[in-house]
Amino acid sequence: MHAGDGVAAGGGADERVYHVEELTRVEGEGRLHLRVRDREVVEARLNIFEAPRYFERLVVGRTPDEVIDIVARICGICPIAYQLTAVHAFESAFGVTVDPPVRALRRLLYCGEWIESHALHVYLLHAPDFLGLPSAVELAKLDRGVVEQGLRLKRIGNDILAVVGGRPIHPVSLRVGGLYRAPRREELAKLRADLDEAVELAQATVRLVAGFEAPEFEARRLLVSLRHPDEYPMNEGRIVSSDGLDLAPQDWPLAFREEQVEGTSALHARTHAGEAYLLGPSARLELAGAALHPLAARALDDTGQAGELATNVFRSVLARAVELVQATAEARDLLDAYERPRVPSVPWRPAPGIAAWATEAPRGLLFHRYEVDEAGIVRRATIVPPTSQNQAAIEADLARFAPSVLDLPHAEATRRLEWLIRCYDPCISCAAHFLDLSLDRDGGPA
Amino acid sequence: MVTAAPPSFLPRAGLDRLIALLRDDGRRVIGPTVVDGAVAYEEIASTADLPLGWSDEQSPGRYRLVESPGPGRERAFGYTVGPASWKRYTFPPRVDIGRGRDADGTVTYEPVAPEPDALAFLGVRGCELAALRIQDRVLRDGPVADPDYVARRRAALVIAVECTVAASTCFCTSMGTGPEIARESADLVLTELDDGYLLRSGTDDGRRLEARLDPRPATDDEVAHARASVADVRRRIGDPVAVQGLPGRLQARLDHPRWAEIAERCLGCANCTLVCPTCFCTSVTQRSDLDSRDSVAVRGWDSCFSGDFAKVAGGSFRWRRQDRYRQWLTHKFSTWVDQFGAFGCVGCGRCVTWCPVGIDVREELAVIAPPAARRPLPMAAAAAPGDFTPARVERTWPETPDTTTLLLTDVDPAIAHGAPGQFVMVTRPGLPAVPISVSRYHPEGDAIELSIRAAGPATATLSSLAPGTPLGVRGPLGRGWPLEAAEGRDVIVVSGGIGLSPLRPAIDALLEDRPRYGTVRLYHGARTPNDRPHKDDLATWAARPDVEAGETVDRAGTGWTGPVGVVTHLFDAGRWDARDAVAFVCGPERMMQATVSTLEDRGLRPERIHVSMERHMECGIGLCGHCQLGRFFVCRDGPVFSRAELGDAFILEGV
Amino acid sequence: MPGLPLRPRVGVVKLTSCDGCQLTILDLEEELLSIVEAFDIVDFPEATSSRSSGPYDILFVEGSVSAPDQVERLAELRARSTLLVAIGACATAGGIQALRNWGEVGDWAATVYPDPSLLQVLDRVTPISDHVKVDVEVRGCPISPDQLRELLAALLAGRRPQLPDEAVCLECKRRGLTCVVVAAGATCLGPVTRSGCGAICPSFGRGCYGCFGPREQPNVASLVSRFELDGLAPDEARRRFAGINAWAEPYRDAIPRGGGARPELAAAGVPGETEAADARR
Repeated sequence: MHAGDGVAAGGGADERVYHVEELTRVEGEGRLHLRVRDREVVEARLNIFEAPRYFERLVVGRTPDEVIDIVARICGICPIAYQLTAVHAFESAFGVTVDPPVRALRRLLYCGEWIESHALHVYLLHAPDFLGLPSAVELAKLDRGVVEQGLRLKRIGNDILAVVGGRPIHPVSLRVGGLYRAPRREELAKLRADLDEAVELAQATVRLVAGFEAPEFEARRLLVSLRHPDEYPMNEGRIVSSDGLDLAPQDWPLAFREEQVEGTSALHARTHAGEAYLLGPSARLELAGAALHPLAARALDDTGQAGELATNVFRSVLARAVELVQATAEARDLLDAYERPRVPSVPWRPAPGIAAWATEAPRGLLFHRYEVDEAGIVRRATIVPPTSQNQAAIEADLARFAPSVLDLPHAEATRRLEWLIRCYDPCISCAAHFLDLSLDRDGGPA
Repeated sequence: MVTAAPPSFLPRAGLDRLIALLRDDGRRVIGPTVVDGAVAYEEIASTADLPLGWSDEQSPGRYRLVESPGPGRERAFGYTVGPASWKRYTFPPRVDIGRGRDADGTVTYEPVAPEPDALAFLGVRGCELAALRIQDRVLRDGPVADPDYVARRRAALVIAVECTVAASTCFCTSMGTGPEIARESADLVLTELDDGYLLRSGTDDGRRLEARLDPRPATDDEVAHARASVADVRRRIGDPVAVQGLPGRLQARLDHPRWAEIAERCLGCANCTLVCPTCFCTSVTQRSDLDSRDSVAVRGWDSCFSGDFAKVAGGSFRWRRQDRYRQWLTHKFSTWVDQFGAFGCVGCGRCVTWCPVGIDVREELAVIAPPAARRPLPMAAAAAPGDFTPARVERTWPETPDTTTLLLTDVDPAIAHGAPGQFVMVTRPGLPAVPISVSRYHPEGDAIELSIRAAGPATATLSSLAPGTPLGVRGPLGRGWPLEAAEGRDVIVVSGGIGLSPLRPAIDALLEDRPRYGTVRLYHGARTPNDRPHKDDLATWAARPDVEAGETVDRAGTGWTGPVGVVTHLFDAGRWDARDAVAFVCGPERMMQATVSTLEDRGLRPERIHVSMERHMECGIGLCGHCQLGRFFVCRDGPVFSRAELGDAFILEGV
Repeated sequence: MPGLPLRPRVGVVKLTSCDGCQLTILDLEEELLSIVEAFDIVDFPEATSSRSSGPYDILFVEGSVSAPDQVERLAELRARSTLLVAIGACATAGGIQALRNWGEVGDWAATVYPDPSLLQVLDRVTPISDHVKVDVEVRGCPISPDQLRELLAALLAGRRPQLPDEAVCLECKRRGLTCVVVAAGATCLGPVTRSGCGAICPSFGRGCYGCFGPREQPNVASLVSRFELDGLAPDEARRRFAGINAWAEPYRDAIPRGGGARPELAAAGVPGETEAADARR
């Protein structure tokens, strides 16, 4: 009922305002504000008004292992992304190498988080848009089976997180040097059976969303993701772009910068040339699709829609579904190959300097950078979540998409704008916590 | 009544057959196995799952698994009890006990019928058998039996194992629950030897099992060896809790100020009650569904330490931690006896080890409800006055201008195996018997050292005996340094002058078993550099990297480059945490008073400060009356006392 | 607890938080469709675009109060709610972001933001109960799905929810876990922390870090002494409380000046490499 507030709030006869005071079915609190004058978009804002939590300051003076537990709290949906990015950052700075089974368990954790996050978004947050419904509850009234299928997938993702991480939200098993404890094979046995089911559910998800009808909205965007020669990008890889960029993950600041934009309280990241760019499932499939699990690749091929992913952001729901196949199939392979590590963690020694890394959160590339002293204590931190990187692209797309809804009734036009925003699966809670406008941020690493 | 068959012997390899037989019988075998750094009781499939070669170090608030040295590497039961207890299987932490349903306008309730698996418990210790008997009495043999317990208990076969090792926290001997196990108290009883197990069966089930194992009869040697190793455990544990009259004494001290002091340390975490093998308190909660009106009543372990346990609408009747600790301790050692005719404690020591802040019931009971007088020691060689055994002076050497050490050989083995801090009476025909602390034991050579200060004519005569001289010795006498109280803690040893001599065997023992203790600090003070006894030892100790040592003298002569001043200056300003430390102090009474006062200021608790007192001693066994100190006879109850038990007698003049 | 209608009208809203506690509602996957039948979810912006501004029979509030407009909003929400349930560490104790209460907010703002006047934040991050009457508090970071399920079942059944205020140790021992303080020298806040999580951290061989906040009758001083005996410098021992529930009494009082942050050039006694090397046997 808030959608459409402020209809025609503008003064002039040919000025229209599309305003959603509080966006729904997104994580966190954001506001949509679009102003059109004489069919020209004069203002397109995704305004993040959630109160800041100062995370980059909260981690100052803390040990690496404390940082792992603190940064989880940035996001209730993707805590593993924050924890793993920090773990990798510290380990790369301290020269720590973990055993292959430990690496496999961490990847398994990430698979669990992708499954849980993507299933949540596809079924509970995004699917209602394609069916013109306000929520999954209404969807369940029409087709309970579909919602149950989504909840089951989400459950299996959460179960992976619970077994390997202790609990789905804010897991406790990750530490610098490895894990606090590695599960015995028997503990993973129950998951194994569930994952056969999960792969099938994920494949069914691809078929389901391939049938979703979406607005036509073609646009070329600069795409950015990690790419790894041997595996679909999650924990590791180099930063690549559709423009041919190829950087070590620590070197994110060499290509990108964050800037303050008037009127919104979160930062926008852009390339140093000032270009907006897009992260997330579509970007990953486009740039790193060669490394897809065969089952995921086949699922995508079977839809015949692979070509639309790069250009139509409304197809991102398909990219997310394909990644559900990727994450479930890979999790199953990891379980089959699992050998319990001899020791869950290796000792490490802090080294002063810069600890930086990037991983692929469900929503896209996440970058962390910490300056640590001799004792390994963090003295300065920069965390760039995917949503603040996507924000410039989202606003650019809003402006580009707006003309196509101007002739629709106001409520429907607003609904479509909100739908567009959900295509990026924005995590506003994450983005809002990084209202770090310190001047040194613009210049990259000192 | 069947006459008990003699014990049989099962070679080590037979243990796997035992496990296999039990499994063939359709039983799940629950036995000890190492999980997450401790011995737990879980299902085992073969001896490979047992804690082979593992032993443990336990002290208040600390537990570590360690690899057994030497022959212990083969042993399956070379550990003492861990945090787990068998009640997990007889009285599980959570059990569904009833279901309620509201359907079609009627409400129905039905109990949940227990369907326990057939189990075999392998490795139940004496204290644990006693715990099962206690829970039998509470949950099975009372006016109303708990059906779940009864069914589970009936479904378990019990194979016991006698302890051949003891932890510093054990006190089964005081509670009368071990380490020996009577064959009737279990289906089968094992005693582990280096190459196998002595078997005794106590029930028909046990006899049948024993027969199927086809063991050979045990040799007399094997039986004797088994008896000796269990007896050794009994000796190591001693008798740390005075249970005689304890229920009444405790009831009389419900207003003791100590309860509030304990509450300052007590976390109220309930660990003691949950690791206790006899605690049986529970709460029932409802688990109800969201879709319908079905609900299940779940009974779960609770604890008198949790806030809701004694709560009514207006609040908790026992709202302070001190109330809760008092409830627990008095229940275990007093009111349990009223309710069930026996103590609620079996002396397993779990509540001592697994208290995160190391609160020790033995220590607290001794403070809150001390016995009227200390019980006499079991005195192996302390025969009547006049009953001396012969020994011979092997060698003598001067320690200081007025002190000489005599090395005595051919000493009665009981004396040569005495404890640090004990003393002997020494005499020669014509001389009065003189009490002298043993300043070093050589148990393997039946020899001891005595360091004698020539304070009077008799001691002067003894000091000047020539090698080869025979003399008479009685002992060992008195109570020595409580090394077991120091296990797992930092130890500070402070001596003044010849006061080092009675401490020397304690230092030997600390350093011989160095890993059992935390930081070891040795401080010695002497009047002048010349008055330092045991100079070689002082130098050796000071050179050890795992010892912090310091020395001082009152007056430095030429050549002394060390500190000058009173001994307390060596440690009163240092950066060390004394709160969990144990102190042993010996020297002139003034020096001991100053030292104890400094240690107390540093936060050492009075029951952990031990001093060796000097009094006129003649009989050595508390009969002649000379050595009285307050309520104690120093010869029998001391000479080593804790500061706490001495009370005012430690500081008052003329006592 | 006031009587509730047959199908209570429920709202789920947030203040400053990570969304994890309201996500826990969606994590009750098996029961979710039963829940929406038993309860009329009229407002839950994270999950539905149907909105309502009340009145609510039950209002779940996630997040801490950290901005001035939230104070007003909370008062309005309270006025429209019969039963107000605070969910999670942020709502019940201020959450991780309350660590900024140990700094000068102006200070922080000035070092972090070029134009602090843009910031609409309060000096102190506080729990909801500092501002309005709270009927039920569900603790945890995040809240436990089991406790949430229990609360919902109890609301339907008309009984007091079983949300015990006992120590984590009880759950730990019921699970048969080995005490990590005694057996591994871990710094575990379990003895002074409220149960509810299921003793997850000890099951992973690490000490509890206090997600559920202080239990009833916590003896923080004694636990700090124990940590010191294990070799932690006094400030380090006390800094263990500077976490998720730092602002909750008596954790708050134990925390040294500066909160969780170690001062520069004072790294001595910091558990870093040595602790990592003490990985469980």
